[in-house]
Amino acid sequence: MTTRRIVLAGLAGIAVFGGLWELYVRLFDVQRYILLPPSTIVGELVGHPRLYLDAVLVTARHAAVGTAISLVVAVLIGAVLASSRWLEQAAQPVLIGILVAPWVAYFTSIVLWLGSGDWPVVFLVAFVTTPAFVFATVAGMRSADPAARELLASVDAGRVEIMRRLRLPSALPSILSSARYTVGLALAAAYYGEGGNLAASGLGYLGRRSGGAGSQNAEVLWATILATVALGVLFLGALSGIERVALRWHVSQRDRARHGTG
Amino acid sequence: MTGAIELAGVTKTFGRIEALAPVDLVVEPGEIVTVLGPSGSGKTTLLRIVGGLDEPTAGTVTVAGASPHIARSAKRIGFVPQSPALLPWRTVAANARLLLDVNRSRPTAGPDPVDLLAEVGLAPFADAYPHELSGGMQQRVALVRAMALGAPLLLMDEPFAALDEITRTDMRHLLARLCEPLATTVLFVTHSIAESVFISDRVVVLSARPGRIVGVESVDLARPRHPSLEDDPAFFAVETRLRALLHEGAGR
Repeated sequence: MTTRRIVLAGLAGIAVFGGLWELYVRLFDVQRYILLPPSTIVGELVGHPRLYLDAVLVTARHAAVGTAISLVVAVLIGAVLASSRWLEQAAQPVLIGILVAPWVAYFTSIVLWLGSGDWPVVFLVAFVTTPAFVFATVAGMRSADPAARELLASVDAGRVEIMRRLRLPSALPSILSSARYTVGLALAAAYYGEGGNLAASGLGYLGRRSGGAGSQNAEVLWATILATVALGVLFLGALSGIERVALRWHVSQRDRARHGTG
Repeated sequence: MTGAIELAGVTKTFGRIEALAPVDLVVEPGEIVTVLGPSGSGKTTLLRIVGGLDEPTAGTVTVAGASPHIARSAKRIGFVPQSPALLPWRTVAANARLLLDVNRSRPTAGPDPVDLLAEVGLAPFADAYPHELSGGMQQRVALVRAMALGAPLLLMDEPFAALDEITRTDMRHLLARLCEPLATTVLFVTHSIAESVFISDRVVVLSARPGRIVGVESVDLARPRHPSLEDDPAFFAVETRLRALLHEGAGR
């Protein structure tokens, strides 16, 4: 499918979903503390463009910087773990622990440690997204063609060169595909962190200040949810673009392209 | 004068499995020698030991008078593995250059990979990616990649084993055409009798495991060798002698 058709199909899906939602709320007269109709939420966003745009930019920065840091750290850790089964096994419980530990429980400690402002939020994002990237890096590097490794050994390639020329490119597909999951995680962590980091910025802050779905400001809460979703879709779109360029050679990107001759 | 490859009393065991019985072999510079043997006869192991990718359990190996590791780190060994092992994210031209790009500080004086690609008929595919090539074309890139090093020794590990019969025949003709004018020493491992006869000066026949040398057959057929040679009675005669040796090695 062409990009245009993909976008159109996506928009159609959103329109149908939004229409059914609107219809349901109006038809059954759903209480506003349970669910708002999408028209009201969009109206809130359009009514205060400056407020939400500023907040979106802050949240986008938190999620992007945190993910970038986590990516670099995870590739370094992953490269070390990929070199030894024992190290990988030893690191497994810690990584899983990070992945499943409830942020709610420890985020206050991070704020007390790093102070208010951007850093506790960025730290939280980087911290919770690291395990997924590490797993992807290890699996990807392990998938490097053993025959290619032998070939590089036949000209005495060093570890760094094998890493750069073989293992890292081999890990790229799995790292990028894990990024699809990580984007959601990063936004959720950024939103949560902004709600609790004592700094008055970001979608998470607006959402928290609104007082919740049952309050007079339910529109604000729902508007931040919708804005976060839009941000996630945007990030995933950008990711698809990166995959298309960086993984031109990979099986996953080949369906539209030419095939081997047999 | 030292041989290009000298093996003396080389053995290899993996755990309790004896892969190679003591092997003694001298390959002269510029000679094209094939190691012919059934599956599991340790011929790949022998090649890996010569290339310094594996250590012998006992015995000594020298490549041009030095240890294989020295030859390897001086980029004096061109290795062609069993699978083409092309990097899917590199174009054909970039794959052909791969071994030159590694350890760039150690210079090589090989032919230009672009010229080599043209010589094997792949010039129009220089910018293609490996997945766009057929198996035979991929293996030709692997040949170019090794030859671009200009190394005095080429080690080839059943490079045509996965190809269909027709492509395989074409590939041995191509290999003979490429290697004959060079002073390069070639050690070629295969289980195909026709392949060994067509390209070699000498064929070393290994027995079933543990691999030991059953016999060494000189192939006194004129060079340059043309495809028509494969219909020549002299060609069949060598094939017949090799088949007998293989049977002897298999204990039949």
